Amino acid sequence: MERRTFLTRITGFILGLIGLALSIPLVGYVVSPAFRRQAQDWAEAGGVHELSVGDPKELSYLVTLQDGWMKTTAVKSVWAVRQPDESVTVFSPLCTHLGCGYHWDSDDREFKCPCHNSIFDITGRVLSGPAPRPLDRLPFKVEKERLFVIYKQFKSGTSKQIEL
Amino acid sequence: MTIIRAIYGWLDRRLRLKPIEEMLLNEPIPGGASWVYVFGSATLFLFCLQLLTGMFLAVYYAPTPDHAYDSIRFIMSSVAFGAFVRGLHHWGASAMVVAIGLHMLQVYLYGAYKPPREVMWMVGVALFLLTLGFAFSGYLLPWDQKAYWATQIGVNMVGTIPWIGGDLVRIIRGGENLGALTLTRFFALHVLFLPLMTLGLVLLHLFILRRIGPAGSFEERRAVVTGATVPEERRRETLSEPFYPRQVFMDAVVAGGVFLVVAALALLLPFPMADKADPSDTSFKPVPEWYFLFYYQGLKYVHGSFEPLATWILPMVFYTVLMFLPFIDRNPVRHPARRPKAILIGAAFLVGVFGLMAISLQEIYSVPTTDPSMVRGRELYSKLQCNGCHRIHGSGAAVGPDLSYVGRVRDRDWLIRHFNNPRAVAPGSFMPAFPLNPTEMNDLTNYMLSLK
Repeated sequence: MERRTFLTRITGFILGLIGLALSIPLVGYVVSPAFRRQAQDWAEAGGVHELSVGDPKELSYLVTLQDGWMKTTAVKSVWAVRQPDESVTVFSPLCTHLGCGYHWDSDDREFKCPCHNSIFDITGRVLSGPAPRPLDRLPFKVEKERLFVIYKQFKSGTSKQIEL
Repeated sequence: MTIIRAIYGWLDRRLRLKPIEEMLLNEPIPGGASWVYVFGSATLFLFCLQLLTGMFLAVYYAPTPDHAYDSIRFIMSSVAFGAFVRGLHHWGASAMVVAIGLHMLQVYLYGAYKPPREVMWMVGVALFLLTLGFAFSGYLLPWDQKAYWATQIGVNMVGTIPWIGGDLVRIIRGGENLGALTLTRFFALHVLFLPLMTLGLVLLHLFILRRIGPAGSFEERRAVVTGATVPEERRRETLSEPFYPRQVFMDAVVAGGVFLVVAALALLLPFPMADKADPSDTSFKPVPEWYFLFYYQGLKYVHGSFEPLATWILPMVFYTVLMFLPFIDRNPVRHPARRPKAILIGAAFLVGVFGLMAISLQEIYSVPTTDPSMVRGRELYSKLQCNGCHRIHGSGAAVGPDLSYVGRVRDRDWLIRHFNNPRAVAPGSFMPAFPLNPTEMNDLTNYMLSLK
């Protein structure tokens, strides 16, 4: 190999190595927080005794969210239902169609979404309208008569439940 | 490879790149390529590294007193490679000061600032000042105790300039106090004003270099015919070598070596942040970065009416002389052996700077190793985690008194009584009495007494 070519190759090799040693960490640096799922903790949503059978209640509560280096608080709400068999169900407050907030119509005894008229029964089953799947259920636990919930969001508009 | 060559060929047929390539690569170096000429390109490489890592740090940094500290904590702990990227920027800054210092030293030694390269030298001195500006403005951005108090002192020094000092300080701080307005203006300076100015001057520096050509060897026989004023046909007679490939190769090897060192430091020597800046905690004794230590030490020797001499008169004189060096030193000779006066002055300056730096380092960090008891005392200090409450030269918490200079204010008797029962000599103290045996008591006391 000619000396000139040899020096050129070595020069290119060194510069390539520096580039590689920089680009891998820098890409990871930019990308890493974007794909980190927030560790959600149990949040206390209210007392179970406030729930009476067949009368869904919207519970609002404060959650602490990690926003980069900041801790912020946000108000979240969920729909909690005491079913006839005394078990509790907790629904995400967003319609599975396009994510509107629905409400409970106590006269018709149905959940109704005002955006596109999706209607769900008290167990979350779709009765009519464009909603592709039942209301999303959230994990919860009851401790000392207090209801604890983990807030989750799901992709809207899909027949399968996909967590965001 | 063939694809790149094909694309280059395609572009070349349209943009006529070949002449530019030849102009860039075939610049003649009088006397030939040399490992001595790598410092300029090493400085440029480090500047590019600082630009790159700085841009990435700005992705997560928030320049307000409420968020600056936490956002850097976030980079260090929650971002992949965050500590590494910040480490590269931190150590890259130190490396850049070293590189620019060596570059200036080489230029000085080789007499390369002499005609026709006066303007190149002056642009270089301006770049050096900008580099110090980077160092000073960047130091505040983490908004920890060290940053806050070191900047406080640096800014106060400006205040000793007569007549305009007070107003200057207000302008630098953006108000009466070091606070939110100081941080945002230091941030803007550090990431927008200084980089653009530096970039412009670097281009000017390189433009002049290409117009005049590198100075090359100081051996007249090898390098006498250089410069833009020399007719083209005589240039070819000089014993010179094109920039490419050997000098490019040397520059690349040095860039690789510099990168390895900076990356190793970033990986192996983490630099923890001090506590978040607390303007009410006046007990904090900041120590400047190593490259300002000589100056910090020098300030200790001037008092009272002589203080302005060190805070601004000497620096002003120094930078003025440095800037106009090519017009002050009119001796046309470049060979160092035949410039004894210039070399002597340069050497005296270096001895002064490094002497002061050595004294400073010794005063700050050293425990006399001749006394093993003191060394044991220092080990005991860290074993008992005294730094959980006490601070020495900026490291440790500020719950109890700062111990940086405790040896000046307490004697052996007081310290021993205090270790046995803190409340007996310091009523209201909540320091626990540690069960120390007599040897340990003696060691720890000796270490305390060495802190002065």
